[in-house]
Amino acid sequence: MSFEAYEDATGLRYAWNVLPQNKVDAKNYVVPFSCLYQPLRPTDTPLLLEGPPTVCRACKAILNPYCQPDLNTRTWSCPICKTRNQFHPQLVEMPFQTRPEAENIEYILPPPATQQPYVFVFVVDLCLDVEGLESLKENLIVAMNLIPPDALVGFITFGKNVNVHEIGHQDSNSSFCFNGAKSYTPDQVEKILGVLSGDLKASRKPTPNALEMPLNPANRFIQQLAMCEFQLTTLIDSLTADSFPVEKYHRNQRATGAALNVAVNLLSSTFSKTGARVMLFTGGPATYGPGSIVDTPLKNPIRSHSDLQKDATMLKNFRKARKFYDDLASTASLAGHTVDIFVGSYDQIGLAEMEGLVHNTGGTVIQSDGFSTAIFKQSLQRLFNRSASGTLEFGLNATLEVKTTNNLKINGIVGHVTSLKRKTAAVSDTEIGIGATDSWKLDGVSVHSTYGVYFEPVVETGSTFAVIQFITSYQHSDGSRRLHVTTSQRPCVQQGQNAIDYFDQEAAAVLVARQALYKVLKDNSTDAIRWVDKVLVDLCSKFGSYKVNDPNSLVLSPSLNLFPQFMYHLRRSNFIQIFNSSPDETAFYRHCFLTEECMNSLIMIQPTLTSFEIEAEPEPVLLDSLSIKPNRILLLDTFFHLLIYHGSQIADWRRHGYQDLPDYEYFKEFLNLPRVEAADILVDRFPLPRFIDTEEGGSQARFLMSKLNPTTSYKNNDELQILGGGQAETGAVILTDDVSLQTFMQHVNTAVVKPS
Amino acid sequence: QAQPVPAYQPAAPSGLYGGVDPSMLPSQSSAYPQPSYQSPAQPAQQTLPLNQLYSTDLLKETPPPITDLQFPPPPLILSPGTSLTGSPEANAPPDYFRSTLNVVPTTSSLLKKSKLPFALIVRPYTSLHDSEEPIPVTSDTIISRCRRCRSYINSFVHFTEQGRRWRCNLCSLLNDVPGGFDYDRLNSNPLNRMDRAELNYGVVEFLAPSEYLVRPPPPLVYVFVLDVSYASIQNGLLATVTRTILDSLDRIPNENGRARVAFLAVDSSISFFTIPSDDQEDKEVSMLIVSDLDEVLIPSPDNLLVNLKDCRKNVDKLLTNFVGYFANNQNTGSALGPALKSSHKLISQIGGKIIVFSSALPNLGIGKLAIRDENAVSGKQKEASALLTSNNSFYKSFAVECNKSQVTVDMFLTGSNYQDVATLSNLPRYTAGQTHFYPAWSASRVEDITKFTKEVSNHLSMEIALEAVLRVRGSSGLRMNSFYGNFFNRSSDLCSFPTFPRDQSYVIEVSIDEYISKPYVYFQAAVLHTTSFGERRVRVMTLAIPTSKDLTDVYASADQLALTNYFTHRAVEKTLSSSLNDARDYLNKVLVDILALYKKEIVPGNLGSSSPLQLCTNLRMLPLLLQALTKHIAFRSGKVPSDHRSSALNRLSTLPLKSLISYIYPTVYALHSMTDDCGLPYDGEDEPYEIPPKKHGEIVLPEAINATISNFEKYGLYLINNTSELFLYIGGDAVPQLVNDVFGVESMNEVPIGKAELPELDNEFNSRVRNIINKVREKDGSIEYLNLYIVRGPSMNENLMNTNRDVIPLRMWSMSELVEDRVSASVSYKEYLTQLREKISS
Ligand SMILES: [Zn+2]
Ligand SMILES: [Zn+2]
Repeated sequence: MSFEAYEDATGLRYAWNVLPQNKVDAKNYVVPFSCLYQPLRPTDTPLLLEGPPTVCRACKAILNPYCQPDLNTRTWSCPICKTRNQFHPQLVEMPFQTRPEAENIEYILPPPATQQPYVFVFVVDLCLDVEGLESLKENLIVAMNLIPPDALVGFITFGKNVNVHEIGHQDSNSSFCFNGAKSYTPDQVEKILGVLSGDLKASRKPTPNALEMPLNPANRFIQQLAMCEFQLTTLIDSLTADSFPVEKYHRNQRATGAALNVAVNLLSSTFSKTGARVMLFTGGPATYGPGSIVDTPLKNPIRSHSDLQKDATMLKNFRKARKFYDDLASTASLAGHTVDIFVGSYDQIGLAEMEGLVHNTGGTVIQSDGFSTAIFKQSLQRLFNRSASGTLEFGLNATLEVKTTNNLKINGIVGHVTSLKRKTAAVSDTEIGIGATDSWKLDGVSVHSTYGVYFEPVVETGSTFAVIQFITSYQHSDGSRRLHVTTSQRPCVQQGQNAIDYFDQEAAAVLVARQALYKVLKDNSTDAIRWVDKVLVDLCSKFGSYKVNDPNSLVLSPSLNLFPQFMYHLRRSNFIQIFNSSPDETAFYRHCFLTEECMNSLIMIQPTLTSFEIEAEPEPVLLDSLSIKPNRILLLDTFFHLLIYHGSQIADWRRHGYQDLPDYEYFKEFLNLPRVEAADILVDRFPLPRFIDTEEGGSQARFLMSKLNPTTSYKNNDELQILGGGQAETGAVILTDDVSLQTFMQHVNTAVVKPS
Repeated sequence: QAQPVPAYQPAAPSGLYGGVDPSMLPSQSSAYPQPSYQSPAQPAQQTLPLNQLYSTDLLKETPPPITDLQFPPPPLILSPGTSLTGSPEANAPPDYFRSTLNVVPTTSSLLKKSKLPFALIVRPYTSLHDSEEPIPVTSDTIISRCRRCRSYINSFVHFTEQGRRWRCNLCSLLNDVPGGFDYDRLNSNPLNRMDRAELNYGVVEFLAPSEYLVRPPPPLVYVFVLDVSYASIQNGLLATVTRTILDSLDRIPNENGRARVAFLAVDSSISFFTIPSDDQEDKEVSMLIVSDLDEVLIPSPDNLLVNLKDCRKNVDKLLTNFVGYFANNQNTGSALGPALKSSHKLISQIGGKIIVFSSALPNLGIGKLAIRDENAVSGKQKEASALLTSNNSFYKSFAVECNKSQVTVDMFLTGSNYQDVATLSNLPRYTAGQTHFYPAWSASRVEDITKFTKEVSNHLSMEIALEAVLRVRGSSGLRMNSFYGNFFNRSSDLCSFPTFPRDQSYVIEVSIDEYISKPYVYFQAAVLHTTSFGERRVRVMTLAIPTSKDLTDVYASADQLALTNYFTHRAVEKTLSSSLNDARDYLNKVLVDILALYKKEIVPGNLGSSSPLQLCTNLRMLPLLLQALTKHIAFRSGKVPSDHRSSALNRLSTLPLKSLISYIYPTVYALHSMTDDCGLPYDGEDEPYEIPPKKHGEIVLPEAINATISNFEKYGLYLINNTSELFLYIGGDAVPQLVNDVFGVESMNEVPIGKAELPELDNEFNSRVRNIINKVREKDGSIEYLNLYIVRGPSMNENLMNTNRDVIPLRMWSMSELVEDRVSASVSYKEYLTQLREKISS
């Protein structure tokens, strides 16, 4: 089974599809035994099962195809802990769960008594210009129509102050006001809003009828949409911009932190066992109160990466704000709540500080220049996309538990998780990402959500394979509780097999990239680059064939030969080269990268470039400046941008309007082809990429140039003559100081062939 | 009956308040057209005889002649030529400005020796609305003031150098007469300066030029702080007050449409209301609730304090719906302190009034108060310090802060439980506001609603002045020493009033620092203020008082009512700084000292224990008033709920003199025996100089009788007015006809008792009684409306077992108003006089 087919069946991509046989190998594989796991990866043949699963009495692993069932004795053996378990005495045929296809299966369970329908709390910035506010209002009303009517909604607005709107009463038009300058404890929020959780818990009893809401004091603020739709629509309609005066040459006083604080604390004290999204819509930097990233005078700039490196005060403020949001994130996360951030601003808003809120809660970030942009509008709507069965494409209040046979220990996860701090025998002492636990809170989990899980093989056990079981529990939008169980078996490498043949270089590149990102976040970018280089060199040393001290002798097997390119582009990517982006942009890119599955992640590392020529099939071309030609249209997909670049000739024709002439129908079709292709890509893309139409010499062409391998940059021209043999006149000249892939490879090769 | 002719009763109608014989005025007084300034700088002043001293033997003169309480003070005798124009109104009328001594001793030691205090009573406004007390206005913005003492030009200055300069009557400095002084700019005519209002009237108002403006005249601002806690919902306060405000919006002085309003609701949170203007049709009133009491948070930068005219429809809507917002409120919190701070912040840039309506004791946030243990200290020495002083320093310090930013706080307190009036009243005290206390008020009683509604409505209709300061200046050598009343003493002699109310008066004690050589001393009180219609003005009141080095003259012209006002303030002060006991002792000692001095210095002779207890006739009511004061609810010994005591102390220190006197010594009418003209409109000619004055068409009141039970017949019908309550007392043995005529019931047992109104019956007597009650309720310059309590007197036939259990307490309450009798531990007036005689003889 191909890596991709296995991925479609299970949502899993392993870097190594075999386990090392001995200790030395385990060390020399360089890339850890690890996988990307996408629990809700859409599949054509989902396996759904009503009712609770059969569970191993010893380790609580769930019955699966690797359990050696015996119909005669009506027993099964737990592959994880080897305990034998009894089936039901009346069992007459092999349970479905033991069939091979049941390695990826979902159980539908009744909702627990404490669970209520999804909760959506809108946190809306009112420091907006008229156009932005009006557009945001329109889109919020659209969003209200996309939310299931039985869902609960809350509405919080903020500017200098934070207002929690009372939407539970028909006639009142009131809101509770919080001081934007202050950070309120959960107790204070409860007290102020009169929703003491003590009373609430007592009053909240399971009701057979879901519509019959228990008397809940929080209903004043968080109410079933169907009940408050009119109230809410009227409220949204009547919103006006924050009217606190803004001094000349000052920013608005925007209490984003306080607003999030109130929202998160309100939810955590009133709906702690229910899936919820806190959806922040903000149009500018947090400038007031806790979590502010800059103060109001415009003469004080918003921190950049280099500020944070050079300016100790800025760094201190950054860390303080970050700590504030991180603390909030852990409150939200442990309560099972997700935070989303919708940015409609040219300015940074503080995403770099707030990162933890979305990272640790499985939230979504939509980055747009304003709330009237298509990116914002369509991404917001896409968040509420419905699956074929009509339910929302995300689960909430999710947790992930990983069980392994004793020949694998868990290092951790790099992805949008929070540790549940459950350390078992299966947990390694070495942490990669969020470790020291076998269970994590995912909170929000969508069809895109993918987690990088890292393991440490234990070779002493003598087993010939390892079994890993991933158990994802979440609240489904249909109100049920779901248990998504994926059980995977991987063999140990056999005598005579070469592990590199089972190497999935794409998955490996993404998994290494995730580790590298984590290092950028924890340490810094230079360390990360050094580390990536070392991984690459070590991996090639171990698995490449070469003559010592002969750089040109290095030969990589097909399963490894693309890996260096991936690493080359990774080094140049926005994830690692952070100084070309603002901290907010870095946070956004990082967030998307840590969300996405293997292929999309690869696109983010190494964008795809498709060439269109008249009377030729579209074909992928090298991400290289040499690919630019006058008679070509190029389609660049960086995941974040979709860029159509018209070569000079094509651009010229287009300017002359040939496409509108009767005899040039074919040219019109040709021009349209990349657009059709782009539209195809757009269908599944979330968030919506920025679409750019440009041409040679166009101002937006730099987006393409920055991604291309600078084969023809000034710096490399000399070397290029030696290397490629004078093709420079066909390519474009790229103004960059980055080394080209060729130069990079030379360095790598030299390092690889050094005698160890 | 009293002695027929008290010496100080005006012999002839020579001006409203008595004064000089018109025949003694300069002959040219009828016509002063020609601007001839040739008169000498110091005109030859004929020294007129001052008021003559008459002595009275107090013990022989019982019962005391209580009609004296309505007499004007001994006249200020001014020689002809003392005033420029000889205008009879050159001196300020005593209703506005009076002195305890209408002859001033020439030295400080003489004053000290006299045992009489020297103080001024200032009441710049005598009615709630300008239309009821028109004051002459100098509107050409030419204000001539003395360069040295800053006093305003007045009737008592003297022109010199062909009228180019004037000599200040307070400090004798020569000042230039300003240009335009003799020119009528309005009509572009030459003006006879002797026609100028400020040279003719003792009370005059100047329209001020722009130099008197520190900032553009602010609009009138009212922030209504409404208690919405359970107590307030329960007793119906919220419903009543919102309705009342709604109905009174048109009475707010808002001719120029600038008035602004804001509403705050208080329980454990503070709810603000954004009120869109009426032209924003898509906008609704919204409520913003702030529960964070730790620091002030104004939830919206706009639409909270709104122009009443522009938002009138939405204000109406808000007030109409207000009760609905809180209908089921069970919240028992009261964050009044934080709400006040928020209100202050809302208007601190403009100033204005914060009007609080509350039924609850503030129990949350800053300024939170605890219930004080009344039982533990009641009747003890420390009662006053434990119960009647402030229990939380927030209230005074916040009040001072409010005063600085031109904010007044008024309180309407309606709790049925302890509200700590003593502490809360600090807010009005230092901000020139007022504390109105309605104990156990309930909207279930129509009488309670009537009183509250009328008073709140009147309060809102009051034409308050804004950003006012009062300064009183005296002739050289005289110094304003102590200041009493509701305001804040900003600097040594500057009293600050964020808003100037019209229903209060003030007392200022004067000290004599230098020997007074002149025959007259002058005082001038000036209130610089902004009117409710946005004009900067100065109201100036000038008083000329003759001097004497003879104590007899001083005594013969002492004003017993003004003296009582002064002593009342001192007794309040003693209570708060020391104890109730000390306050009562003080009042006794004052009398002993005066009587002893009188006996020793004024009418020597007749020593020994059997000698008469003498005092000059013009002071013969002083012992009665001061003893009555010791029996007043504010000072009496025995158990009085501290909120009632505090409220009484507060009234005593703010009431204008006329009301104050009847608050101390209630006015009692015997209705069953009144003459036939009483209770009917007066059909004769106006008699302005009668006491009391009679006016055609006005209801004639019976002559008041002494407040003692010995005057009460068992079959009689009496009305007692203490300016706080009215008691209609029906004797237990009243004939059925009287009972039926007045109450419309067959028997005494059916007479409704307690707070009630008289039924309107179809008989003349009933209508006359109601006319009298209504007439008594009319009070100029007061917002108050008196509740009527019907009281049944005892009877042989009375079956106490079967009667309403309120009968006895009510009876005791009304009887405690009979202040000539024993009240709790205090002796009757007659016994008191005997005690006094013993004391001064020993
Ligand atoms: Zn097991
Ligand atoms: Zn002077």
